[in-house]
Amino acid sequence: MTSRGPSLYGRLAGVITLVLAIGALVLGWAAWLYARVAADEAFDRLLVGAALQIAESVATEPGRVTVDPPISAFETLALATDDRIFYRVTDPAGDSLTGQDDLASARKQGRPGREPVLADGTYRGFPVRIVTLGRYVTGPGVDGWVEVTLAQTRLARLDLARDLTLKSLLLVLGMSVLALVALLLAVRVALRPLQAVQAVIAARDPKDLQPVEIEAPREVAMLVDSINHFLGRLAERVGGMERFIADAAHQIRTPLTALAAQVDLLSTENRADRRRQQMARVRERIEQLGRLTSQLLSHAMVIHRREVVRLGPVDLVPVAQAALKEAVPLSLDRDIRVAFEPAEPSLVIRGDRVSIGEVIANAVHNAIRHGAPGLLALRLSRDGEEALVEIVDDGPGIPPAHWDEVVKPFVRGASEAAGSGLGLTIVADVVLAHGGRLTFRQDPTGHFVVSLRFPLLAPAEDATRLTEDAA
Amino acid sequence: MRAVLTLLAACLMAVPIRAQDAVTTFPAPGTERQVLTLDTATDLAAFEPLIRDFQRIAPDITIRYREFVTNALFEQARGECLAERTGADLVITSSVDHLVVLSNAGCALAHRSPETLAAPGWTRWRDEVFGFTFEPAVIVYNRALLKPEEVPRTRLDLIELMREQPARFSGRIGGYDIARSGIGYLFAAFDARNALIYGRMIEGFGRMRLVTRCCSSDLIEELGKGELFIGYNILGSYAYSAQKAGAPIGIVIPHDYVLALSRGVMIPTRTRQPDLAKRFLDYLLSQRGQRVVQQEAFFFGLNGSVPEGVEAPPGGLTSGMLRPIVIGPGLLPTQDRAKRERFLREWQNALQGAEPRGLQ
Repeated sequence: MTSRGPSLYGRLAGVITLVLAIGALVLGWAAWLYARVAADEAFDRLLVGAALQIAESVATEPGRVTVDPPISAFETLALATDDRIFYRVTDPAGDSLTGQDDLASARKQGRPGREPVLADGTYRGFPVRIVTLGRYVTGPGVDGWVEVTLAQTRLARLDLARDLTLKSLLLVLGMSVLALVALLLAVRVALRPLQAVQAVIAARDPKDLQPVEIEAPREVAMLVDSINHFLGRLAERVGGMERFIADAAHQIRTPLTALAAQVDLLSTENRADRRRQQMARVRERIEQLGRLTSQLLSHAMVIHRREVVRLGPVDLVPVAQAALKEAVPLSLDRDIRVAFEPAEPSLVIRGDRVSIGEVIANAVHNAIRHGAPGLLALRLSRDGEEALVEIVDDGPGIPPAHWDEVVKPFVRGASEAAGSGLGLTIVADVVLAHGGRLTFRQDPTGHFVVSLRFPLLAPAEDATRLTEDAA
Repeated sequence: MRAVLTLLAACLMAVPIRAQDAVTTFPAPGTERQVLTLDTATDLAAFEPLIRDFQRIAPDITIRYREFVTNALFEQARGECLAERTGADLVITSSVDHLVVLSNAGCALAHRSPETLAAPGWTRWRDEVFGFTFEPAVIVYNRALLKPEEVPRTRLDLIELMREQPARFSGRIGGYDIARSGIGYLFAAFDARNALIYGRMIEGFGRMRLVTRCCSSDLIEELGKGELFIGYNILGSYAYSAQKAGAPIGIVIPHDYVLALSRGVMIPTRTRQPDLAKRFLDYLLSQRGQRVVQQEAFFFGLNGSVPEGVEAPPGGLTSGMLRPIVIGPGLLPTQDRAKRERFLREWQNALQGAEPRGLQ
């Protein structure tokens, strides 16, 4: 059972909601800032308008300035129904003509002018918006700037800003909800092919390792491809195993039947010499069976390793030397000259050390078994981009007509007296798996040569691979 | 030195007189628990039914009723506010512009309740100032001295009357002294705002040597006695109350346009018992309080109903001719120092400047 992480859908929904919520907050804040500016602009116009009306009512009488704040100015300001209004009009000397004497001007510096100056401030603890503007008056005995300062509390501005913000927030929220719904629907639709894949695989017969055929968008097609690739490798392995088991069963059954018959004969044989003779043949059969078993196992191992082991750099020279040592028994019933002839100090290929050792041993063993009355040589050389391993013997070899067949499993060479055809099959399998070739030839001196060719590892690659391994 | 002493004595005398023109206490019918102080510029006779009715539903409340002239009340309330002194629990006046100025300066306590929200929009501002009556400015005349066909029904009629019979009406037309009476000033200011004939009217008043009084009661009393023939811009509620009590006066709601105000009430921020003040305010605006206002105290209703015996315009008090004095920041300029000074100066110039001509 796979461990169940949080649902992809849930996680996406969470992330999208979070992003939208943060977005809504940021937009809400922006809307608030904007709404305040907009509300200020709207009400500043009224404020300036009212101040202008008051300024228009400034007149001169001999020796003094008069002002008559018009009712319309206050009615303009009364559009902000609940806001307090404070004002002050000062004469050129700076003395109050009317209004609240302690109301401060919005003009902090500079000289009085016609242009309205706006500022935020507080008056008697009330936050207010203040405008100050001037009128230049001249008359008998009067000359200078009259300043009108008008302040209004901010209630209506706040109300408007709040109202605007609320409305834009509603819009933002509406859009966010729409976006959320749309995205969740989209996610659901996007995840549907995955469910389809799951359904197809779940509905499948366990023995069916055929690739999954399903229409899927590009992103999911990659997953389907991976599954298919995996299924393919699995099918290959299972097929190999099945073939191997069938073949092995067949291979072992034959010598066992023969052995059983010989043992039957042995049990009825009374003559001692014949008995000894038959015992020898039984032993031979058992030995043959043992060899076959070990070859089958070795083949199984090679197949297994081919599927499982990661290939690394392998130096053929020591591997071949070790294989030769292992394959040639200490005592031979024939007097064979065994030679190890490496032409290069080192030949590095990419491969599985154990499999390669095994196949070289196998080939050597084959040569001893089936030929080599007096000579067995293991030559290593370089041929262009390939490493060449040659097993040479002076036996009859395999007739060229059988060269194709011997590399197929369980086909014996014509000259083969006993044993199995597995040996060269394993060799061919492994060589092929390493990207190499297995060939036979009869050399001019009449020796039979089995050649294994492996592609050499490029020197640079060689170096990095080795250091990597060392690391 | 003697002059200074006299002045000082006058000041010392003046202060108590100003601060407490008249204090009437209505003891709690039940066991007294709290005392509610009302500072008002309202005739006790008019207001008493409201106090009595309130004490019926709140028998544990003693009510102190302090009566002022409108301008004196304004100074009193403003003084308490600026000095942050505890004083009245409620301020009640017909000069609603005073209340608007006080509220604008932050002297009023806000109150929001079902009763306050039910009041018409033009009678409240900032949840701080509320109007609880409907009082039109009326023309009052002595029924014995004026023939029915002579009775002025519009301002133009009045101007014509003064023009046609200057000798008969000279010194016989009465009005508020707008320098002393807040309500007189307010009505005059709104007349000036509303009427193109305002100039002709005060010119006429000048020629007739307008008799000015501080208070409605004085004017109505003199009208009843026949010392005055016609009173202009008198508070309809007081006039009707006198008529109901038997004074031989007639009341006309002008047919050209009608100035109407809603007597205002406000809770000062420094009240000792805001909850009780709010309770009384809610009572004034409640259906029960409004019934008493209309039937026993001020006779006209906020719904525009006119009591029996008052000559109303033929079409009734329609919105077309009604000029309500809207409680709101629009009242601030009427209390503008420069504007008030100029207005009073012009008023006095008009009245006095025309006097020689009137005597001719």
